Amino acid sequence: MGRSMEKQQELVVITDTFYQLHDTGGGEHPEAHARLAEISAVLSSGHFSGKIEFIKPRAATRTELMSFHPEEWLFRFEEAALAGLTYIDHPDNQISYESYSVALSAAGAGLTGIELVEQKLEKVVFCAVRPPGHHAEPTRPYGFCFFNNCVIAARYWQRAYGRSRICILDFDAHHGNGIQSACEEDPDLLYISIHEHPSFSYPGTGWENEKGSGAGKGTILNIPLPPGAGDNRFLQAMDGDLKQLLDRFKPDGIIVAAGFDGHRLDDMSGLRYSVNGYYEAGKRVGNWSRSFCSGRLVSILEGGYHPGVLGKCVEAYLGGVAEFL
Amino acid sequence: MFIQDYMTENPVTVAPDIMIIGAIELLGEYDFRHLPVVDGDGVLLGIVTDRDLRSACPSSIIREEDIEQGMELLRSTPVATVMSSEVIVISPDSTIDAALLLFESRGFGTLPVVDRQGRVVGIFSLKDMMVGYRRLFGLGEKGSALVCIEDSGEKQMLSSLVKALAENKILFTRLIRKEKDGPRPAMIYLRINSMNLSFVRKVIDGAGFTLYNPVIDR
Repeated sequence: MGRSMEKQQELVVITDTFYQLHDTGGGEHPEAHARLAEISAVLSSGHFSGKIEFIKPRAATRTELMSFHPEEWLFRFEEAALAGLTYIDHPDNQISYESYSVALSAAGAGLTGIELVEQKLEKVVFCAVRPPGHHAEPTRPYGFCFFNNCVIAARYWQRAYGRSRICILDFDAHHGNGIQSACEEDPDLLYISIHEHPSFSYPGTGWENEKGSGAGKGTILNIPLPPGAGDNRFLQAMDGDLKQLLDRFKPDGIIVAAGFDGHRLDDMSGLRYSVNGYYEAGKRVGNWSRSFCSGRLVSILEGGYHPGVLGKCVEAYLGGVAEFL
Repeated sequence: MFIQDYMTENPVTVAPDIMIIGAIELLGEYDFRHLPVVDGDGVLLGIVTDRDLRSACPSSIIREEDIEQGMELLRSTPVATVMSSEVIVISPDSTIDAALLLFESRGFGTLPVVDRQGRVVGIFSLKDMMVGYRRLFGLGEKGSALVCIEDSGEKQMLSSLVKALAENKILFTRLIRKEKDGPRPAMIYLRINSMNLSFVRKVIDGAGFTLYNPVIDR
């Protein structure tokens, strides 16, 4: 992969074993805590061994959550968890007694990450969280997501630090309908998503012609890839319109909705990326964050479900980012 | 499936004695191309299209005084003289399938919708038809994805598939069987209402069906 080993990059992983209390019921549900355990194990023993610091996140506050989610959803989610319901709205969205508290802490990881980035620590910041967030809409959970971790982080960055123009780049195999809904009419929030074609992929949104409306017109770029698309298509997407749009938008900060279910062995999508594809993607993201916004970059885990591959993909992506530290 | 679910209700109509110039202004104002002509009770008498009205306008290459004369004619001629009286209509309880066949065989793209008394209750256009089929097929329905399954031709295949899905509590919203069509293979399309496509594929595969993976690119 040609990574430079000379630089002593450092990586901060914001995560918490507390996340394991979000119990999705076992069985065939792919969004389980083993995902995070694998990521931590791979990162600790591989390329970043000895150069990694694990930090616990703080919980997002009510006000921070309400930058995207109205109070009615907060109540509904908390009550469902405490009442012992096993899912909300759809069996995909499995919950357990602690799920609400865990989700607060998952939403808080991005905020902790931003606080670190703003201290100019010159470290790669990765939030290894669950539940994921990019499908969550203001009042509805979708696709294993309850709070939209990336949108909450973006609004926090804007409001607490005055970084008004935030780009959320999403390379999860699935389109982040929840993030898009936040960017729909907001001229200061740019959403770029590379995902499998919505005909064959959940949640069936993310068509090329969805570009935002009103004041937010032009702040959404959807790049759907056909089933079977591999690294070439993935990286071509990153090197095309996406870069020009970033040039025009000039972000003050970049948040990456980092999903790794586009790997060829991950059967949650029909995409066929390789581990090296994520490394190359990481290099581009690191380069952009350096050239557009002085390295202000926070990456937040979304999907990625294949055991034995997820950890390697995360490591490769962060390795790519670290080259531009 | 029914016209009344997708038609544009209460369309703008005109009386037969409105002058052509008034109808032209109306079409320009609303940006559409068909005007049903109705009597005092709203009963359809005919339809006038933008093409009928344009044909009635004086040519731009004739002398100015002739143009003025032509315009005067538009101001004094009622639409009844240029409308088509033999109009193909559709009823609100008819189907969008019926509209599709009419559009296909007649080559037009708009149908007045009339009730049993012949009164205009709506307009149904190609665009309305697309919206109808879009909803029927669940295109753009948030929280869904399409799964393609090779059709073995076995008669009980759909019921076996539904049974496997039900036993595994997999929610779906559409199930379509497309027969073999020349060289194109028979196929079953299933709109799954779940993110967990990994499990869905496992169940379908385990029940003995062959998933069709639309690999378009590598």
